[in-house]
Amino acid sequence: MRRFLLLFLLALLARPVAARVKLAALPRRERVEIRLDHGRFTLVEEERIVPLLQSTDRRGNNRVDFSWANTRIDKNSIQFRPIAIRDQGRFRPLRDGEVKVINVSYPPNENALVWEVFSAKACALKVRVSYLISNLTRRFAYRALANNDETHLTLRKYLRISNWSGEGFGEAGVWAGFGPTFRRKIGNQQDLKLLIQRFERVPIKKTFTFDWYTYGALNPAKPLASKVRLHYELQNRRKDGLGAYPLQPGKVRIFIEDKRGGEAFLGEDWARLTPIDDKMRLFLGEARDVICTRTIKSNQRHRVHGNLFHQELVLRYEIENYKKTPVTLDIVERMNRIAQQYGRAPKGGAEWIGGEQTTPALRITTERGHALPVLHATVPAAGEKPQKHVFEFHFTIKNLW
Amino acid sequence: MKRLLTIALLALASATPGVADNVDLVTLPNRDTVQLTIYNSADLTMVRETRHVTLKKGRNELQFSWANTLIDPTSVEFRPRRHKDKIELQTTVFPGQKSQHLIWHIDSKVEGQVEVEVSYFTSGLTWQMDYVAVTDPAEETMRFTGHVRVSNRSGEEYDNAQVRLIVGKVNLVEQIAKLARQRGMTPPAPKSGRYSRLRKEAAEKAFARAGVAGGKRRDEARIIKEGVSEYFMFTVDGHETIPNGWSKRMPAVRASKTKFDIVYRLREHQYGPRPVRFFTWKNDEEHKLGDSPLPNGRVRLFRENGRDGLAYLGEQLVRYVPIKAPVEVNLGPDDLIVAELTKGKTTRRAFRFDKHQRVNGWDEEAAYMQTVRNYRNKPIRFELRRVFGGDVELTPELESTLFDYRTLDTKFNVKPRDKTEFRYKTLTHFGANKKQNRVTLK
Repeated sequence: MRRFLLLFLLALLARPVAARVKLAALPRRERVEIRLDHGRFTLVEEERIVPLLQSTDRRGNNRVDFSWANTRIDKNSIQFRPIAIRDQGRFRPLRDGEVKVINVSYPPNENALVWEVFSAKACALKVRVSYLISNLTRRFAYRALANNDETHLTLRKYLRISNWSGEGFGEAGVWAGFGPTFRRKIGNQQDLKLLIQRFERVPIKKTFTFDWYTYGALNPAKPLASKVRLHYELQNRRKDGLGAYPLQPGKVRIFIEDKRGGEAFLGEDWARLTPIDDKMRLFLGEARDVICTRTIKSNQRHRVHGNLFHQELVLRYEIENYKKTPVTLDIVERMNRIAQQYGRAPKGGAEWIGGEQTTPALRITTERGHALPVLHATVPAAGEKPQKHVFEFHFTIKNLW
Repeated sequence: MKRLLTIALLALASATPGVADNVDLVTLPNRDTVQLTIYNSADLTMVRETRHVTLKKGRNELQFSWANTLIDPTSVEFRPRRHKDKIELQTTVFPGQKSQHLIWHIDSKVEGQVEVEVSYFTSGLTWQMDYVAVTDPAEETMRFTGHVRVSNRSGEEYDNAQVRLIVGKVNLVEQIAKLARQRGMTPPAPKSGRYSRLRKEAAEKAFARAGVAGGKRRDEARIIKEGVSEYFMFTVDGHETIPNGWSKRMPAVRASKTKFDIVYRLREHQYGPRPVRFFTWKNDEEHKLGDSPLPNGRVRLFRENGRDGLAYLGEQLVRYVPIKAPVEVNLGPDDLIVAELTKGKTTRRAFRFDKHQRVNGWDEEAAYMQTVRNYRNKPIRFELRRVFGGDVELTPELESTLFDYRTLDTKFNVKPRDKTEFRYKTLTHFGANKKQNRVTLK
């Protein structure tokens, strides 16, 4: 480590004449803290005990030389803070005027800087040096294991630290931005994966989504059906065993328990940052046992005046559920695309009203915007003979031209 | 330094023509004091130095040379500090045989040692500010420190110089580096390889003898601040040594327990689609500041993380902040504040038709909901500015004003772990119905 990053103490070099000839004591790192809470920058804080001589007119002030090699430290981010002084064998906080950082000098063409430090008396000073370092990064990853009924899962959260900074840190305190600080040795050119949290029995909701305009035809044999996408939803709240900290973005690998004590891989997704009380939605893949066929049952134009018209449509959904459990299918419709396809591109968002003949069991929500209604259709579990369940959505897109 | 920049009393100090020959015998008076006035708006430093020279009655010749430095020869001036009415500079000669030399012909009515002042403009000395702010864990107050960092890449080494720093924008009709040409040579362009080589060579020469920066000092340099015309001057109390190639950083502004406000701004046209977090305070007495303007500089923000350490919050370049003016630092988007805009029901009416019965004018009424969710444990202040195009009548549900003819300005609070829904309706006149290009608040 000391090959790469060194802290020198230049004791009372008043007026050197040779170019940076240094007589140096090498104070060891007493403590290193690595702060990974900022997503883009890593802050390293290290404490060292630096022996200082009393500043006098004859000898001048102390000079503390900090230099590094093969390490990408942001030179302008380096902070030097005296924090305690050894007094009668123990460190105590500094008093006014005991120690002062007078200035800092930057030698040319060197990865180094020199602090000029005034000390009222000879002492051992505990200092903290902080700096931003590149190529010491962190990522988060999750492993989720769902129970066989897909009602709960066990979520493990991992912190992955990649240290390619050129510097190794022995027994550093690592803080990821939440939870406790833990101590680990982080060697140079090392990747560490640490289990930092484990959440048991987190309730999940399984959702099925049908979105014709995003995913298109399922296959040539079923040109009017489309993919049904499968998601797990979990909420980052205390009631569900989470909710202590935001869930950081990262890759989630999802497994499911099989009935023989084993596990099967279900899929993986990138989790977005999920603040406390917010919802995490994980895409698993396609649901093959739920098939939805969408047809345009009716398409009628009603002229209003001149070239102004209303377009009346009926969408028919035929849903087949081959699963042994009831399923709620969320059908996303994009009114602007429908208007464009069957009438005219609307000027601004599509203006539409629902028809009275819409299947009453079809619950419509517009949380994502009025032009993006989501229709929720619940179909029962497959019986002896799976049936097709038909839902109709009647609506009129108004004032097109 | 003395090898690079010399002032010499020619031993053959008479009207003999030998002074322009290649063989000179000179004495080298030491430099007594140096004052550097560094401007940060241009690559310009005014150097004033005093020396003692021995003059005889009658005509004297003084040679001044500045090999391998970036001095503007047109700016070199000579002034006696005493006996001003008895010492007169008669002519200045730039000898053709020697580059970077000049000879002053001085008529003196006094004999003996006199103190003279030489001043000139040079290039390659710069200074800049940077600031560090460390907030308390609750993000309510902060320690704010500003540092001046003086860099010397002039090719010259300045020992024990008094340093003055000028904040302000001066007008220069020619770059000093361009004027620092060597006679008989094409002037190097400031960014050319020759210019860089010149600087590098000079720096290497000085660096070979340079040591660790700083002289004997018992305490940190005090920065004296004063206004000068439209400029502001920081004078570093005492004397500094700045070897060539080195930079030196000294504390200049210090405040503790400075209160600040946190505000979130959603201005898509300015900051992008996500709300950004601002720390704001003022450069005034109430905020323990205000004894000088804050020159351009990068502000680095940290927070005491409550675990005996710091957390890095971000950094931003702030532009010159006059006394009593606000300081605003943009920390970028905050993952714990989420803003979403949803467009509700849209209806169109008031159709107009042209002679071919085609629609050529209409009104569109639309409802919008701006939801701001605060996942933090503290209430937040949120400022929304949204630009509308066309002839729009706006009906906001929260108190709002118009920032300009087309920009809605609304401010509201969001409780901790809660959300605020700001609904507004727009009635937009299109085509023939459009009379103006402006937003009207209803």
